[in-house]
Amino acid sequence: MQSLPITKTADAANDPSTDADIAGRNGWLAHLELGFVAVDQRSVLARRRHKGPLVVQKSLYPEGSGICHAIIVHPPGGIAGGDRLQLDVNVGMNAHALLTTPGAGKWYKANHEQASQQLGFKVAQDAVLEWFPQETILFDAARAKLETRIELTTNAVYAGWEITCFGRQAAGERFQQGTLLQRTQLYRDGKRIWAEFADLQAGNALMDSAVGLNGATVNAGMLIAAGIVPAEVLEACRAIKPEDSAAIGVTALPEIFAARYLGMSPEHARHYFESIWSIVRPWYAGVQSKRPRIWNT
Amino acid sequence: MLEQVALSRLLQLASPLLPVGAYSYSQGLEWAIEDGTVHDAATAERWISDVLDFYLCRFELPLLWRMRQAWDDSDDAALSEWNSLFCAGRETAEARAESLQMGYSLVRLLKDLEGFDDGVLQRLTSITPASFPLAYACAAGVWQIPAIASMQAYAWSWAENQASAAMKTIPLGQVAGQRMLLALGQHIATAVQAACELHDDQLCNFAPGLTLAGCRHETQYSRLFRS
Repeated sequence: MQSLPITKTADAANDPSTDADIAGRNGWLAHLELGFVAVDQRSVLARRRHKGPLVVQKSLYPEGSGICHAIIVHPPGGIAGGDRLQLDVNVGMNAHALLTTPGAGKWYKANHEQASQQLGFKVAQDAVLEWFPQETILFDAARAKLETRIELTTNAVYAGWEITCFGRQAAGERFQQGTLLQRTQLYRDGKRIWAEFADLQAGNALMDSAVGLNGATVNAGMLIAAGIVPAEVLEACRAIKPEDSAAIGVTALPEIFAARYLGMSPEHARHYFESIWSIVRPWYAGVQSKRPRIWNT
Repeated sequence: MLEQVALSRLLQLASPLLPVGAYSYSQGLEWAIEDGTVHDAATAERWISDVLDFYLCRFELPLLWRMRQAWDDSDDAALSEWNSLFCAGRETAEARAESLQMGYSLVRLLKDLEGFDDGVLQRLTSITPASFPLAYACAAGVWQIPAIASMQAYAWSWAENQASAAMKTIPLGQVAGQRMLLALGQHIATAVQAACELHDDQLCNFAPGLTLAGCRHETQYSRLFRS
């Protein structure tokens, strides 16, 4: 195991666990907990606690004090077999947080060990959480397990996307070995309103079937849980086309708005979702969308 | 061997006469035909058989199996959990509406038949909204149809509807439709067996092509089907 730097905050310095716990024999455990609260119309990152190499840069306010932007950084830059990442976020009443990442999440060849990422988001009444990470790249022979559980209270709003690339496209690599286990579940007041379970083995016929990935290397989904989408918003979203010939589609369930992209380009997937975001954000958050600057780099 | 009355009940449940409106749904197949992915008997069979393998076999049938076990074990918490997972896992507006409409229709039929005792109906109606597989598991349980046979019948009715949608839309002749059913019938036996053996952590409703077909069907200009 190569040695990787651990950034420590004051919180973590008081943590009784040792570095030996963090860098276990079979990979790194990284855990970040964030708590956002509203204080006089201002959304504040009031609590942060981390263990291992998963940290948040300082809070940013590019849209004014009402919306707190936070960039989640994983200093090692990639996830190797055996690594475990866990991110827990609480957004308190009336607060609004937007989370993103500075670059693609890379999942390396696993050497037979599964790596995992667990996201646990809790959003309180009148609060908004936006989760717009950059793409996840599964290197050939990665074994990734991604679990996301989102719990909303009363009228809480969640908006997020996941862009998954199968293989390093730039290197002409295909995802020919490896596995992806992905589970995304949303609950509102304890009632499950969305469940997406993927258990994909590289080389499975699902990767080429028209019913499955249809040969695409990028599968992406955007979800918004904010009640029923107004008809005009849905119409405007349906009119948006991607910059390439990818297959796209939107649907509006009673509790969820979903958009999908199935194609070959993570950039085009994100641009497609950004266009949708510009239409839906005024509806679910009452503000115009404003592109985080980190996406330009 | 099926007990004789149970066999009659199985055929009744599998019959296209069952008033749940199954014939009005194509589950994205109509869009796949519109966009050219499905254009003849061979491509229709490929599509239907892939949906069977990647969606029914990995999600719908294993959940039907679990709901039936929960029904037989009088485990209403598990029944509700699996029903909730099935409903939340229907990823498009039409797919979700279809399952709830068919579930509602079957529950209403079971009430109207007057052969079910109050305790059974109360158990069934305490779980809302009722998905189609939930109502089906209850009916098959009360009628003492062996679970595996009821799953085969469930998958068969589904395949028959898909073949019928393909025949009307592509269109295909009667013999081509029967050939397709002959092949699918063979396939269903192994799919049901695989569905029963699936572990909870292998449940998978990931079929992006199918989901996108469902999304696109919502705005298809000319259509015969409701999904």
